[in-house]
Amino acid sequence: MSSTGKIVSIHSFRGGTGKSNTTANLAAQVALAGKRVGVVDTDIQSPGIHVLFGLDESKMGKTMNDFLHDKATIREIGLPIHELVGGAEGLSKLKNAHIWLFPSSIKGRDISQILKEGIDFNKLNEGLQTTITEFDLDYLFIDTHPGLNEETLLSIATSDILIIILRPDNQDLQGTSVTVDIARSLDVPNLLLMVNKALPKYDPVEIKKGIEEQFGAPVAGVLPLSFDIADNASSDLFSLRYPDHPWSQELRKVARAVLSLE
Amino acid sequence: MAGVFDRLNKEIQDKKKEGGITPLDLAGLPPALRRIMRLMLRELQAGYPRLCEIMDGMPEKDRLSREELQSTLTELTEQYWLIRIGDGEKAIYKVNLRRREGSTLMAGIWSALDEKLKNKPEGNINPEGS
Repeated sequence: MSSTGKIVSIHSFRGGTGKSNTTANLAAQVALAGKRVGVVDTDIQSPGIHVLFGLDESKMGKTMNDFLHDKATIREIGLPIHELVGGAEGLSKLKNAHIWLFPSSIKGRDISQILKEGIDFNKLNEGLQTTITEFDLDYLFIDTHPGLNEETLLSIATSDILIIILRPDNQDLQGTSVTVDIARSLDVPNLLLMVNKALPKYDPVEIKKGIEEQFGAPVAGVLPLSFDIADNASSDLFSLRYPDHPWSQELRKVARAVLSLE
Repeated sequence: MAGVFDRLNKEIQDKKKEGGITPLDLAGLPPALRRIMRLMLRELQAGYPRLCEIMDGMPEKDRLSREELQSTLTELTEQYWLIRIGDGEKAIYKVNLRRREGSTLMAGIWSALDEKLKNKPEGNINPEGS
């Protein structure tokens, strides 16, 4: 099997950076650029990205947990978001796009089963690669668990592009340096940094410059801290609903950076 | 009577039990071994001719010679980080990632949790408990 689609892993060393929100919005922007896009939730212990696509358990059906336990094929798991979008103003813009979600289960029993029985990483990797070939994807976005665990390392090891999200905060900066080191040890071909929740009183150009110097990697966007995002409460894809908002404009820069990488 | 598929499947399962590499170990491999392992993660499985074809398509600085490729495959196979199925030119290689074991919490804790969850109606996890 040979997969030509690109794997984009989105990672943050700490929680609360806006990783799932960014992943969903980036994936949507890339889909709107005419690409076939998949989004896999490998945050099996605390899944959540499905909410941003307007889904709850009643609409989810089979999940990655079923695939890992040989109870479903990848073909059965992929949810065509473009066909399922309901009334949400932002999401409805995906009607003519091609974007699938491969969710993890939000049933307590399924999560405890994974914790109890462990994970077959050969099977997880097979799932990631198969999504690309089965759905003929151009891009597969992987929403990872924050911090470093084995699922995260596997997704980093197999990715073409790694986006590390950080806040301009000393704890995030230290954690990011660990992730950058590991990404380099794993020969990830393309590493991008994205700053989120930057305080408006600081100059984004200076933030970008400082972080690029510190890590020796490009910063694809500096997204401002915004109460508007908090107010959206994951009820819709913010960058689609409010395309002129400064956060959305900066996010589209990150999407363009992803699309520009060979 | 067991068929060829059954025999090969048993061979794979036996070899998987003997080891495997963790995603973290990949970061500590020498460059040539890591290159092949990364490549195999994407391919899932590939024969020697296919690996040669991929090598030939790589930039020269990343390319392994046929001798280097052969010795790298031998080393990875000896460590059971790759599993070789079959012999000679028709051999197929597959990545062997080590399974993450489950929690070592006492079994009683899991059965108690199972019981609790079985009695709850299916639905979203609600941290408010309502």
